[in-house]
Amino acid sequence: MSKIKITVLMLVAIIIFLSALFIGPRIINPFRMGDMEKEILFSIRFPRVVVAILVGMALGASGAILQGVLRNPLADPYILGISSGASLSAAFALLSGIYSFGRFTIPLTAFLGASAVSVLVGVFGWRRGGLWPERLLLAGVGLSFLFHSVLMLLMSISTDEGLRRAVLWIFGDLSMADWSLIPYGLVFIVSGLIISVSRSKALNALILGDEFAHSLGFSIHKERFMLFISMALMTGASVSLGGTIGFIGLLIPHIMRFVAGADSRVLIPLSAIGGGAFLCLADLIGKSIMTPMEIPSGIITAIIGSPYFLYLLRRKDVLSI
Amino acid sequence: MSLAFDRPILELKDVSFSYLRDKKIIDNISFSVGNGEFIGLLGANGSGKSTMLKLSSGILRPSTGEIKLWDKDVLSYPNKDRAKLLCYLPQLLDINVPFKVKELVGMGLYPYDIPPHITVDEALEAVGLSEKPDSYITNLSSGERRRVFIAMTLVQGAGILLLDEPFANLDIRYQIELLKLLKELKDKKGIAIIMALHDINIALKFEKVMLIKEGRILGTGSPDAILTREMLKDAFDVGIEVVRREYGEAYISYENNF
Repeated sequence: MSKIKITVLMLVAIIIFLSALFIGPRIINPFRMGDMEKEILFSIRFPRVVVAILVGMALGASGAILQGVLRNPLADPYILGISSGASLSAAFALLSGIYSFGRFTIPLTAFLGASAVSVLVGVFGWRRGGLWPERLLLAGVGLSFLFHSVLMLLMSISTDEGLRRAVLWIFGDLSMADWSLIPYGLVFIVSGLIISVSRSKALNALILGDEFAHSLGFSIHKERFMLFISMALMTGASVSLGGTIGFIGLLIPHIMRFVAGADSRVLIPLSAIGGGAFLCLADLIGKSIMTPMEIPSGIITAIIGSPYFLYLLRRKDVLSI
Repeated sequence: MSLAFDRPILELKDVSFSYLRDKKIIDNISFSVGNGEFIGLLGANGSGKSTMLKLSSGILRPSTGEIKLWDKDVLSYPNKDRAKLLCYLPQLLDINVPFKVKELVGMGLYPYDIPPHITVDEALEAVGLSEKPDSYITNLSSGERRRVFIAMTLVQGAGILLLDEPFANLDIRYQIELLKLLKELKDKKGIAIIMALHDINIALKFEKVMLIKEGRILGTGSPDAILTREMLKDAFDVGIEVVRREYGEAYISYENNF
């Protein structure tokens, strides 16, 4: 049964990817493309779809990892404050007008912010030779509040234009996507996926509890550390590519558990595929429904995601980690 | 000449443990376990039964003393190698993840590259859950859940099972069935089983019991030798007595003080 569900999901994902390429403010017929259509397809839509897929994959997979590592169904990649740190550093660059690295400035500052916060959360979550889920969670929530407040302070004293750009970025704006950043994002996100999938048995065991994981032959602190690294790589790269896009990391792993079960060996790759497809769909909707205006993808994911999440909440058999 | 199988497979030597420096939870205990031994750890709440099992499994590191698994420090084993020799099943099975029964039981194969002797289906058959491989653990009763995890330990196939209160939440029928199953494992496969217990009636079915109080061993031996009125009074601080009937059956009698 779950094989049929997985096949259907893959087909839906492919249809969404293709639709996102050919549908938009201008519909492109793949069999009759002029120079203009080719330019739109390869220079604008293709990189944008690839960025949406990468960001969605990173968030979906990171959510599945983090819900397991923290043994908390409400965990998402942003709960550890990584996105708040990235937002703060990116907003600082946007508002202060520092562009030392050209178009790389914002993604780079966001990635540096995300990395710095990952290290900071790791330091606070570290005790007696390992990372402890409760400490990580509390440290993340505490740091999130701090960074969020500083971000609000920055925004409250900034100019209107800077503020608008910062708000767009914070809500996940994929409109600036181009090929230049994709290789870097690809390296981090694929590395994170490979690490996490290779540790998926350990994640299953950690979900049962540290004592089970130990008894089944895993080094609990080493495995948790590796999973944390994989999640931090993917989250940092996704925030720097696409800003902070909510709900994918929280919602997609829950839906995928419903589709294919809780085994992390299947759940992590499926959450990645589901996340990629969902963000593509949200971006397609965001750029199509109010043309020429675009709605940031993060807003669309939340508007679609919240009611569906509440629907799932009523099905208590689904909403567990 | 001492043959390999005569040697203890698990040995604790002068082991002490404390979470905080001032209070010892385990206080200088020594004991050894041989192949196929079936030992019940009995003691009041907080006496150190679970801590002893966790120390033996290498989850906790002793403050002093040493713990040897097959003549080698338990902490020196690579994790996967240790998992093939020794398996620990915790008392709390607090799982709210919708894993399927067969997925959970299959996790017992994680330490192995080549699947060992017993299959998931055989393990499920052994614990009476062969009808439920596709059920979600979250939909099972607490007794069924415990049997799922026992099946997982069977698949893991270690020679030493450390079980923390495996009879908790089981009704009397499954207590008896689990006891029979574990004794069969011991007899057929020579698996050594050490389990923390709180039910003295179950302890009476063991060949060997170890009575523990405040992290120290009060005595080890047959239930007849150890579960005396005096020893039980010392361990639990209540007046209880094992009464034996003529045809060998035994039960616990409480003093009429409540």
